[in-house]
Amino acid sequence: MTPRLSVVDLSLGYEGQVFMRGIDLEVGSGEIVAVLGPSGSGKSTLLGEITGVLPVPHGHVLVDGRDVTTAPIQERGVGLLFQEPLLFPHLDVAANIAYGLRRHGWDRRRATARAHELLNWLGLDGYGPRRPDQLSGGQAQRVALARALAPQPAVLGLDEPFSALDADLRRRLAVEVAAVLRESGVAAIHVTHDAEEAQAIADRVIELPSLGSPA
Amino acid sequence: MRAFPVTITVALAAALVATGCSSAPEESAAGSTVRLLAHESFVVSEALVEQLEEETGITLEIISGADAGTMVAGAVLAAGNPTADAMFGVDSTLLSRALDAGVFEPYTSPELDTVIPSLREDTGGGMVTPIDYGDVCINIDDAALAAAGVPAPTTLDDLIDPTYRDMLVVQDPATSSPGLAFLLATIARYGDGWTDYWSALRDNGVSVAASWTDAYIGQFSGGGDGTRPLVVSYATSPPAEIVYAAEPKPEAPSTSAMADGCYRQVEYAGVLAGTPNPEGARVVVDWLLSQAVQADVPLSMFVFPAREGIALPEVFADFALDVPEPLALPAGEVAAGLPDWLAEWGSVMGR
Amino acid sequence: MTLPAWLRWSWVLPAAFLAVFLAYPLATLVRTIASSAGGFAADLVDTSLWQVAGLAVLQALASTLLALLIGLPLANVATRYRYRGRALVQALVTVPFVLPTVVVALAVRSLLGPGMPQGLALVVIAHAYVNLAVVTRIVGSQWAQQTGELELVARTLGASRWRAFVDVTLPGLRPSIITSAAVVFVFSFSSLGIVLLLGDATTRTLESQVLRQVSVLLDFPGAAASAIVQLVVVSLVLLLGAVASRGQSSRRRRPVPLHPLPTLPGPRLAVLGTAAFGSAIVLLPIIALVLASLRGPAGWTLDWWASLGSVDAGTTRLAPPSAALATSLGYAAVTALVAALVGGAAALAILVPGRARVIAVIGMVPLGVSAATLGLGTLLAFGRPPFDLRGTGLLVPVAHALVAVPLVIAVVTPALRGTDPRLAALAATLGARASRAFWTAHGPVLRVAMVASAALAGAVSLGEFGAAAFLARTDSPTVPVQIVRLLGRPGDQSVGVAAALAVVLVVVTLLLVLLIDRWGSTRTSRRSAVAA
Repeated sequence: MTPRLSVVDLSLGYEGQVFMRGIDLEVGSGEIVAVLGPSGSGKSTLLGEITGVLPVPHGHVLVDGRDVTTAPIQERGVGLLFQEPLLFPHLDVAANIAYGLRRHGWDRRRATARAHELLNWLGLDGYGPRRPDQLSGGQAQRVALARALAPQPAVLGLDEPFSALDADLRRRLAVEVAAVLRESGVAAIHVTHDAEEAQAIADRVIELPSLGSPA
Repeated sequence: MRAFPVTITVALAAALVATGCSSAPEESAAGSTVRLLAHESFVVSEALVEQLEEETGITLEIISGADAGTMVAGAVLAAGNPTADAMFGVDSTLLSRALDAGVFEPYTSPELDTVIPSLREDTGGGMVTPIDYGDVCINIDDAALAAAGVPAPTTLDDLIDPTYRDMLVVQDPATSSPGLAFLLATIARYGDGWTDYWSALRDNGVSVAASWTDAYIGQFSGGGDGTRPLVVSYATSPPAEIVYAAEPKPEAPSTSAMADGCYRQVEYAGVLAGTPNPEGARVVVDWLLSQAVQADVPLSMFVFPAREGIALPEVFADFALDVPEPLALPAGEVAAGLPDWLAEWGSVMGR
Repeated sequence: MTLPAWLRWSWVLPAAFLAVFLAYPLATLVRTIASSAGGFAADLVDTSLWQVAGLAVLQALASTLLALLIGLPLANVATRYRYRGRALVQALVTVPFVLPTVVVALAVRSLLGPGMPQGLALVVIAHAYVNLAVVTRIVGSQWAQQTGELELVARTLGASRWRAFVDVTLPGLRPSIITSAAVVFVFSFSSLGIVLLLGDATTRTLESQVLRQVSVLLDFPGAAASAIVQLVVVSLVLLLGAVASRGQSSRRRRPVPLHPLPTLPGPRLAVLGTAAFGSAIVLLPIIALVLASLRGPAGWTLDWWASLGSVDAGTTRLAPPSAALATSLGYAAVTALVAALVGGAAALAILVPGRARVIAVIGMVPLGVSAATLGLGTLLAFGRPPFDLRGTGLLVPVAHALVAVPLVIAVVTPALRGTDPRLAALAATLGARASRAFWTAHGPVLRVAMVASAALAGAVSLGEFGAAAFLARTDSPTVPVQIVRLLGRPGDQSVGVAAALAVVLVVVTLLLVLLIDRWGSTRTSRRSAVAA
């Protein structure tokens, strides 16, 4: 079976400076791979090159077997979840979740209905009309997860999505998110500097420095 | 902490009261300050001000009233409780409005006898004193016309001749003082037929600029980068071209003023009614008409002195047009007719 | 957070300032007109008045749209990206705002005049040019706070670059776009010099109507009616702007570093191209000025620059043209002081919950008062006993401060809002009293903001013409007044010296604005959060 995400001989670079080469990585459907490394080690650069935020200096990124190395962000089938929920402040919760569906051609009514289904699935029934600033940190992060998964991306990048939460909530949410991710069939790549968190939710944990060779 | 803004307010009020009290009236001119309200074009040499202050013991404070029209408007609103002691620069088009509002108190300067007789005729019934006069005339870029092989126009009638199509730039009379003077010149010349004259000007491609600067510097070929060789300006613009030319100064200006169709503006000074210092104000009016200031007038303001027998500077004598038969309208007629004339002009010119 | 009690009284200073120097002169004028002319109610129903008002509204709308169209991309590249010359681009864009209108009008005319006759189009272009700074400054200060992460989220959800801009960026910028649009509208609606110099019959404003009614027709009731309609329209627009710009405050309070240039060639070119385009728009007229100051009838010359120090080249016969610079700098310094104090106090008052909207609107009202009206009112109120302030030399800086205070409020308020209220809470838990805690939290930002406003007010003062023409002493003109007077007489020297003086004005303004940006910026240029 084709892996949902394949990274082939990828170099990591920032502003024209390559600092790591030869990265190979495959993530399958429903699999969660944690990439572990201290801050500044290039985790975010790796995510940036997979999502298309940063240009790829060398190598290839394949999503569902399709080469997306130079494709624009919106055509890669890659979603992102940040440290902060980053909900659109001018839209209500349902509209936030429906946003990606609308961009993928769903009409408003179907997209809103689907948003409510996703809210139910995450245990947030009835939160649809709320404004983002009326949510707690954990609720907001769950809405952000629903929003990212709604358009059914092949790959989801998680950039330390729990680090802004307190320890207790963080553990509960991590377990919950891991379950949701496996059920959705997305290939999840989770970058973090927290080894304990990585072990708790990932199927595989990889130390970033061991992935490639320094340039 | 609560007292902080209150303190500021009290201090501010105290400052206002203090400055208010400091301008208490004085009984005699010497030692007093005289505030002369003048339009923004008023210029006088420093030495003359120093001389006045030395000889009379007064201190002269010159206050700007923006352009002449706005200055007179301010004086009219403040009539009886003026913002200065004397005013210079009310011209013949604005005079009757100022007189009607009671802006001035009567004063006949002992120096009035020295003024050119024709200018002495209208002093608003002993209210104001003529200080200078100037003429608004068509200016011609002789070099440009010669290059185009076109003879210079000599009369207002010539300007509607197709020979001068697209060559003239005038100013909007509603926004420009020379523009207004030129409109009045055409009314003085053609009477009720003035609107026909303007229709013909319009059909002959006249350009209407908002201001003298826009017309002379912007559109006149003799004054800047413009393309039009004819412009409404002053009889004294040609000598000014020499005075404000680059070194080495040219022998003669490349522009000249057309003798026909010039409109004469006389500028007056007077004592403002209700001034706390009428004695000082009279001293300043006399000073404006003094030999020394009158001799200074041509190169300071590019107008002619009202006083007879003043030797003109060479550049004036050589190149300033001494208009033989200037046009003029009585001040009362201008005040009464102006609103309608401007409206009619606007409809003729489609503005 | 707990606000210190005295903060509730900080509105007194700006309120007193506006009451004394704005409301009192206007009331004096209205009272004088009403008593001398028997009222002006009849003039308020004059149809030509409303016709002018309607046309002015259309003109101002067009000017605002064009200013936004050019200003928004410029705000983006001038405030968000890190590249050599960014500070200069940002400063350059401010220059047109402080150039005397006569200079702007002549420049626009000489660049576009041959192909474009006087009229609405030229007026709209000139207004957009002058007001670029308003859009780039006000929108830029909010845009600079955005990290770009929200747009990234939208992109990963399937939005194109443009779609993400429309769906996410624009709604986030809504408050500042509306505020700047309201200010540009007000400036264009009440514009005078540009309308007189570049407009035709259909491009009148009420302001030009007031001038005409006052200084040509001496029709005071008509002028009062026009001025009142203008004030009402302006107040309404500002009020609408204030209501419509009420937005959710951004949760993110930490300073946002400048972004590195995009690495993809397309977007990178777009950023640098926009910066170059914006600079070119601003620079073309300035280059024309520099050339005019160096060119005589016989070719290149330094005569005009040398003449700056010669009494004969001046317009007063008392002092050389360069003396105007000292006069202007003096006025600018006093204006800076007054505006920073009044504007700073107003901004503090805006921090008090419930008052913000009212104070923001009232503080903006001076923008809508006709200069001719205010000039006459000031003359009547403070030009004669019992309150004769003319001898004090205060009237020009006070008038300039009235122009500058609204802009100062616009600059200081976002800075104060941008401080983290948790800092004050933190300070309070450590035992600081409310005042102390307030200064701990807001002091450094307030200090920076007030220095920046002082410099901004100084720059406004350097370029102001209308009030200065009215209130400055005839024998000591300011630089813009001197330039206008030089351009009001014939001769190559007049134009050349005026151009040299205008170049000096541009350079001094640029330096001031660069200082504003240096002091006013608390941002560092670290790597962007996404890439670190």
